[in-house]
Amino acid sequence: MIICDEITKCYPMGAGRKHVLRGLNLAIGKGQRIGFLGRNGAGKTTMIKLIGGVELPTSGKITRQMTVSWPLGFGGGFQGSLTGYDNARFIARIYGHDYRELKDFVEDFSELGAQLKMPVKTYSSGMRARLAFALSLAIEFDCYLIDEVIMVGDHNFYEKCHYELFEKRRDRSLIFASHSADLVREFCNGAAIIHEGKATMYEDVGQALERYNQL
Amino acid sequence: MSRLTAGWRIQRRVVSALMLRELVTRFGRENIGFLWIMAEPLLFAMLVGLLWRFMKGPEEHGVSVIAFVATGYIPLTLFRQSLQRSVKVFSVNGSLLYHRQIQVLDFILVRFLVEMVGAMMAYFFIAVLLITVGEFPVPANLGIFLVGWFYYAWFTLALVLCLAPLSEKSEILEKLVPLTTYIAIPFSGTFNMMSWLTPPAQAVLWYSPFVHAMEMMRDGIFGNRVDAEWGLTVPTAACLSLTLLGLILCQRIRRHLVIE
Repeated sequence: MIICDEITKCYPMGAGRKHVLRGLNLAIGKGQRIGFLGRNGAGKTTMIKLIGGVELPTSGKITRQMTVSWPLGFGGGFQGSLTGYDNARFIARIYGHDYRELKDFVEDFSELGAQLKMPVKTYSSGMRARLAFALSLAIEFDCYLIDEVIMVGDHNFYEKCHYELFEKRRDRSLIFASHSADLVREFCNGAAIIHEGKATMYEDVGQALERYNQL
Repeated sequence: MSRLTAGWRIQRRVVSALMLRELVTRFGRENIGFLWIMAEPLLFAMLVGLLWRFMKGPEEHGVSVIAFVATGYIPLTLFRQSLQRSVKVFSVNGSLLYHRQIQVLDFILVRFLVEMVGAMMAYFFIAVLLITVGEFPVPANLGIFLVGWFYYAWFTLALVLCLAPLSEKSEILEKLVPLTTYIAIPFSGTFNMMSWLTPPAQAVLWYSPFVHAMEMMRDGIFGNRVDAEWGLTVPTAACLSLTLLGLILCQRIRRHLVIE
């Protein structure tokens, strides 16, 4: 269970403050795969960063009763000047995993081959996505935080993700920020519309998408 | 209790992973690798020592000039390097905050530890080298020396704990750091013993924690060849209060960090 209680988030904007979230409440249970829908700038990314603990809310409380991945699909989480292997080694160390096991999985899943010996800053966005997914799947989380921008991989990668995330790990939770009706319909079993700093939960994805299109 | 030990285990894991990462990104794996961490304090102390040796002769106030410069310069580079490297340390490392077990304090601690280990290695290396050529005394009291080192390092860390969060708030601070660390030299005890100074100067420097720490270290090295003057009240009070302030500032800045 992840519980977001009365979350507000402000960013400094010039002399004043921009309120992105205004008292947002949300609860995500085990096995729920929730699509975050909202216009550009509505706060989807902010919400994912707050749930991931990357940034802290201005006020309110987030309770995590399951393990939550770091947000996938953003720049963070990697050190560009280090190689893919060095990043993997670092992740293995901080999450207390056996490096050799993790390395095998990453090599197998990412299919990046010799490129893993190159600094991550030389990777294309598709290659980064492969590495990010491989690492987070190797660590195993109860809940994965994913931004749509990471779905840049080719067809083969897409198939692999689909298999690893939606077949092998059916029981896991997922939070997926997206604009694509197709992806949300395919991946999610619920949706939340983030609008004007609040969230509304929909059990029915179709209904949520309908409402979203009217925004 | 078990949560506390689990937390401690995670922090130890994180700090050691970050240390290794810092060493690899800064020094690489080529040639002497991480041994570069002691190169800077070592070269500084040796070259300035030689310079002074030719300017002032072999001894001053009854102690070897080279040894005196070495005992002053190595802690000074620790102080200067640590401060410089702590500027904007949170935004530079921001992408690591994607992993929740990494705390902002880890960044500060890791950068400081890398500097401190480098300085200690340099100190040890230079002392052994100079002792063999007879330019450095065999330490009179290693205990007092280590207490002095501890206070010098602690005060540096306390300063860094304050500077790191403040430098995120203010651009000007970043520009002022090199100047400030330079101006601070007379107040750091690097070039003089307290007993060589006039009473009014002593009265002012008595309030510098660095001076106490430096006098302790030199007391431990040179023994009764110098008249060391130090107390524990001033450095302890200064370190404690600054550490507390620094921890509060770090805690507050975390909430406002914006990470790409």
